[in-house]
Amino acid sequence: MIVHDLLLALWISLKTSGLAALIASLIAVPAALSLASTEFRGKRAVLLVIQTWMAAPTVVIGLLFYSLLSRSGPLGGFGLLYTQAAMTIGQVFLILPLIVGFSYTALRQVDRRARLTALTLGASRRQAGWVVLREARFALLVAVLAGFARAVSEVGIAMMLGGNIRYATRNITTSIALETAKGEFANGVALGVILLAITLGINALVQVGLRSRD
Amino acid sequence: MSETAYALDGIRYAYPGSSAPFCLEIDSLKIGAGGMLAFVGPNGSGKTTLLMILALLARPAGGRLKFFGEDPWSGDGRALRARRSAVLLTHHPYLFKGTVFDNVAFGLKVRGISEADWPARIGSTLSLVELSGTEKTAVSWLSAGQAQRVALARALALEPRVLLLDEPTANIESGLALRIESVLQEICRTSGTTVVFSTHNFSQASRMADEILYLSDGRRVPFSHENCFSGTARTDGRQSWIEPRPGHRIVFPGSRTGHITCVINPEDIRLFSPGDPAAGEGPNVFEGRVTRLEMTEADKALVRISGGLTFRASVPLSEIEAKALSLSRHVLVKYEAEAVKIIGAESGPRENAHD
Repeated sequence: MIVHDLLLALWISLKTSGLAALIASLIAVPAALSLASTEFRGKRAVLLVIQTWMAAPTVVIGLLFYSLLSRSGPLGGFGLLYTQAAMTIGQVFLILPLIVGFSYTALRQVDRRARLTALTLGASRRQAGWVVLREARFALLVAVLAGFARAVSEVGIAMMLGGNIRYATRNITTSIALETAKGEFANGVALGVILLAITLGINALVQVGLRSRD
Repeated sequence: MSETAYALDGIRYAYPGSSAPFCLEIDSLKIGAGGMLAFVGPNGSGKTTLLMILALLARPAGGRLKFFGEDPWSGDGRALRARRSAVLLTHHPYLFKGTVFDNVAFGLKVRGISEADWPARIGSTLSLVELSGTEKTAVSWLSAGQAQRVALARALALEPRVLLLDEPTANIESGLALRIESVLQEICRTSGTTVVFSTHNFSQASRMADEILYLSDGRRVPFSHENCFSGTARTDGRQSWIEPRPGHRIVFPGSRTGHITCVINPEDIRLFSPGDPAAGEGPNVFEGRVTRLEMTEADKALVRISGGLTFRASVPLSEIEAKALSLSRHVLVKYEAEAVKIIGAESGPRENAHD
């Protein structure tokens, strides 16, 4: 039974955070590409907001979405509070600025001639954008993995929006919080080690997979 | 009547954010299809900007540009179609991460050319630039000269209607540069490709191009910026001279009078140490200091010597080392009277000047 609880919590952690990393990447990487390849008035202010947002505490984001998703909130009608979907939404907003920020830095470091060269060879603007993404693929992967790591290790959003409901929204971090509250520190540490080991395995697999394709 | 590849009329271009109104102003320029045109000018003269405009990568702020009779900026994907007909090889070209094959295949891929055709086209263009068998080599292992040639092969593989080249033989040793020049001439002749290239090297321009366009400060000028002098000619019947500055006489053969503009090819200028008897005694011997040294090719540098007159000489690196030429060093400049080319003459006297 304990093993079943552990595996389910692990699955919920990986599912909600993996989905959050995927959704956030689909928004953040194109946004970073657009930021990196265009100059406009107010760009510095946008970057400042992103950098500040990176430091937002998880409980603040949890509280914000709690007020939006609770029954009396503007999005209460969707009935998302205390679901895995709510956890994923909160985590997307948590890691979005992180992935935008890291991706922006990665894309700015790509030689500016890469995009120009693609255009000189007849690439469309979209194809040239893909070239820049391809040239920065390892750094972008690090950005996405950093976002995933941040999502999978946070507890504030999972607790406030998921509610730590057994078999439904209890993930590894909320399990650790529960075990700690019960005074079962050894269990808490063991769960933490398992989460780290799984994350290490995922990072290693993705990196090896990408390098072997290069 | 031959087709016109480019027709430019009143083209104006300004860098975004620049305080200057325009950095390039070309009133009129026609480039015939199948010809070879060279842009010659110093750094900052607008050569690269003009190539970017011809490659349709920079949109002029004003004026009209026609590419094979069509306005490429009139929408409906015309700019992209035109861009796929005119390939630009940039100065210090960038190679994408991966292999030589990946790089040369890039343009074929974006054009949707069948993958079955890639190996043959890539193999033949690599052989043109003397890099056969390097398809699987990672570009990170290439030398600067090899990288330049891969970039050239990448452009040639596309068989474009127009090939635009920004300093195509920079970083390539002179023997190979000459062979690349003949490859470009061959392509221009056999496939009717229009070739437009920029160069610092006046000799290269005159060797290769059907026509030379001189640029200075973003405008067309009627003559080369290098070693260009003008003044009122005087003659003793056997030879003539101008004095762009009092006491500094440029002597050339023949009998000439009136206002003369002349150029001296930097490759025809030789440098000697002061007191070197090989320099002889004039005419056309001047003393000055080295005020600039600039690499222009893999084995040559452009040396600026400033004295009463300013000269630019193209000097092999081996000679620079042998003569220990360095900045502020005193040198003697010498050229033969026959090296002075008259490029403009007016009958009336005018004020003397030099660049």
